Amino acid sequence: MTPHARIRPLRLDLGEKLRALNWALVLLVPILGLVGYLVLYSAAGGAHAPWAWRHAVRLAVGTLVMLAVALTDVRLVYRFAYPVFALCLLALMAVDIAGTLSKGAQRWLDLGPVRLQPSEVTKVALVLALARYFHGLRIEEVGRPSALLAPLGMIGLPAVLVLGQPDLGTAVMLVAVGGTVLFLAGVRIWKFLLAGAAVAAALPVIWANLRDYQRERVLTFLDPERDPLGAGYHILQSYIALGSGGVWGRGLLGGTQAQLDFLPEKQTDFAFALLAEETGFVGAVLLLSLYATMVFIAFAVALRCEHHFGRLLAAGLAVNLALYVTINVGMVAGLLPVVGVPLPFVSYGGTAMFASLLGLGLVLCVDVHRRVPLPRHPGDPPA
Amino acid sequence: MTSPDPLARARGRLRLLALAFLLAFGAVGGRLLQLLLAEPPATAARTARAEPEVGPRADIVDRHGRLLATDIPSVSFALDPLYVRDPAATAARIAAVLEGVDTAELTRRLARPGSRYAPVKRHLLPREQRAVLELGLPGTILRTRFRRVYPQGDLAAHLLGAVGADGRGLAGVEYAFDRRLREDPDRPLRLALDLRVQFALREELEAAFRRFRAKGACGLVLDVHGGDLLAEVSLPALDPLRFGEAPEEVRLDRCSGAVYELGSVFKLVTAAMALESGRVDLARRFDARGPYRIGRFRIRDVHDYRRALTVPEIVAFSSNVGTVQMAFAAGGAAVMEPFLRRLGFDRPLDWPLPERARPLFPRRWPEITVATVAFGHGIAVSPLQYARAVAALVSDGRPRRVRVRADAPVEVAREPVVGEATVERLRWLMWLVVERGTGTKAASRRYLVGGKTGTADKPARGRRGYDRDRTVSSFVGVFPVDAPRYLVLVVLDEPVGDEGTFGFRYGGWTAAPVVGAVIERIGPLLGVPPADEEVRRRYFARLREERFVDPGTGRREKRLAFVAPDRR
Repeated sequence: MTPHARIRPLRLDLGEKLRALNWALVLLVPILGLVGYLVLYSAAGGAHAPWAWRHAVRLAVGTLVMLAVALTDVRLVYRFAYPVFALCLLALMAVDIAGTLSKGAQRWLDLGPVRLQPSEVTKVALVLALARYFHGLRIEEVGRPSALLAPLGMIGLPAVLVLGQPDLGTAVMLVAVGGTVLFLAGVRIWKFLLAGAAVAAALPVIWANLRDYQRERVLTFLDPERDPLGAGYHILQSYIALGSGGVWGRGLLGGTQAQLDFLPEKQTDFAFALLAEETGFVGAVLLLSLYATMVFIAFAVALRCEHHFGRLLAAGLAVNLALYVTINVGMVAGLLPVVGVPLPFVSYGGTAMFASLLGLGLVLCVDVHRRVPLPRHPGDPPA
Repeated sequence: MTSPDPLARARGRLRLLALAFLLAFGAVGGRLLQLLLAEPPATAARTARAEPEVGPRADIVDRHGRLLATDIPSVSFALDPLYVRDPAATAARIAAVLEGVDTAELTRRLARPGSRYAPVKRHLLPREQRAVLELGLPGTILRTRFRRVYPQGDLAAHLLGAVGADGRGLAGVEYAFDRRLREDPDRPLRLALDLRVQFALREELEAAFRRFRAKGACGLVLDVHGGDLLAEVSLPALDPLRFGEAPEEVRLDRCSGAVYELGSVFKLVTAAMALESGRVDLARRFDARGPYRIGRFRIRDVHDYRRALTVPEIVAFSSNVGTVQMAFAAGGAAVMEPFLRRLGFDRPLDWPLPERARPLFPRRWPEITVATVAFGHGIAVSPLQYARAVAALVSDGRPRRVRVRADAPVEVAREPVVGEATVERLRWLMWLVVERGTGTKAASRRYLVGGKTGTADKPARGRRGYDRDRTVSSFVGVFPVDAPRYLVLVVLDEPVGDEGTFGFRYGGWTAAPVVGAVIERIGPLLGVPPADEEVRRRYFARLREERFVDPGTGRREKRLAFVAPDRR
């Protein structure tokens, strides 16, 4: 008997799926989207154009995609994990060859009306591929160094491609997300320590190969007042914005830092600074809690999922989301160097929004199909 | 199942991970709280805006202790309306002894119900203060605050910077040493600046600025050995008391806060590099028949020399075609890029003031870049940064840190960028520029001056390429040339030539005379003895002017050649 024949009876119909959907998670999307809408409305000085209305349209379309993914059979997702990942790699290579330049970096793929940033989707696809790989692996195989070659390649290849664009932030995120999936899959701790030591040893080499602007950012992170009008400008203005918001904020459209254009990139990477200035500490913490809720629901989904694939997938995507938020806010608050990482659902940017919703759709899908048996080792007797 | 299910381990690790991110979120939240607490709450800021408590700041003085900035106490007069019985009568009594008081307005303020503070007049003169005291009004409030004043007005405004209403430095020295000035108000901050030199430079530069109707101008005087910034002027002038209202154009310190493609003055750097490489010496000649082609680009001179030029001629006449070949003969990009980096052109100037413009340094070095950088295009640096590099090349080859404070230590780079032989030759070349070349208008009767002219086309607005009508004209001079002590740099941004210069806007016509005049004025002030006949003879002895007939054109020509000291 083939394994596929055995799992067929457990197919869910649409009604069951809708009832099993994690509505709390679904509901968080429009709430965060609304926050994003208000921030972008304010960033434009109180106008729906040019950012806010597009943000809303993208959110609506993306939510439909998310729901569609959520209702897709997880086995289909499992089957297409590798092809999707391969497609992303191809797109990344295409960017390196034929990409469009913006602000000195080659990250976008121009497809006529749509401009895609494949590196964003790659993060989701990487989790997908790694979950697929480790799902079929026995625990004693995980311990074998040879079994780690393939996943290391899966992480390394896109990371190197992204680094060449150059986009240090995304490359670091790819490695971090990939690393956590390896961690969850049961790779021994000492191997991570070894990798960490190797990275530490390689730091001088990496430093020597960084672009000037990247080095400048690290130095500026260490001392923002080094160059208050140049490289340190973003972060100092961001500090001022965070400080000037006070407890309750200056009110929507009332932030002097953002409204008077002191704050750069306020519609994308520094959106959080605008929010913190206009809605204060309370607003900022509220938004952080919304994200935390989202992340922990995703972790809970991972915990209660009954198959390894879903567990790794949901946890990996939870980590991905959490990294977005902590890196972005950490950067705005001066805990981390300035790397271009957007705030999910709030920052302006189509591909990032689409990738976030795709990831959330996959988490929802895992939750809906948490009891669906996925054979781990075809040919084994049933557990 | 044959293998143990990794479920248990994964669950444990998952919880660990969730905890880690909980901590991360917590850390971010904590940081936000920290930033919130670090800044004074908004309400406090609002009340503070009306009456900021401003403590005294330390005086700023020049190197000889002359006052540049100081605080004077200033008394403001207000009344507490609670103690005022008859607002109209009180206002009338006050108006009788104080000028500039609006009686109607004051009556209204004094009558405002519930008010406890009605400002009457700020910055009372001592005489006015006495009159107020003699009135003996109940509810009189006299407050003494400190007010920053600059006795020299706008003379050194760009360097000194300004202080905001909150008593914090906004720019320049006031910003850079803000903490020192506030925390140690009794001890004056002594600058390396020399007020007399500053004045001489300002006067000469401003005359040229007006005469040539330039958009901007800057000048500086640097002590070659100590790195002391003796004078620094940026025009248009800035009123330090109206810093906030000044447009960006005026606020900009053009010496250090702006970068320029400086043009031909940069050939000094190329010449130093070529001589230091050992592959080019002063006897070498280069074919200066133009244009010189690199790919689809053509490099030309102001007029075609139609013959080979010696290295001294290339520098003295400022030939682009010759300079480019000199750069290639020295080794091209492989030599040029590290040389420029060692002179600090790849990064902002390392000095304490916040005005640190970032140079535009080429990222890639194809041949065309090497060629244009050789004559000062395709690379933009701040005038101060350039001056510092030249000071190193004419002293002992070692760059020094620019000194703003008189008590700062002299910091000299350990490794010389060029050796003694190159320094000697470069001085001679600079002398030749002023004696026989494009810089004759910088010559002085008292001193032996060396220098280099520069006229750079400015990048065109709104299109690629350069604009021939808008130039940056400059001159860098050092004196005494045989053992330079001081460097004077003048840069005029978009000068317009007049009848006196026959319409020319070249650095040799516009900037060189300013440098010459400044040197004549500051030399005696700084105690520099006039040029020695012996030195003059020694410099001329190395120059041979050869007359010859060009075999190609049949024209009679004169050639400037270097006589090596050992062949003398």
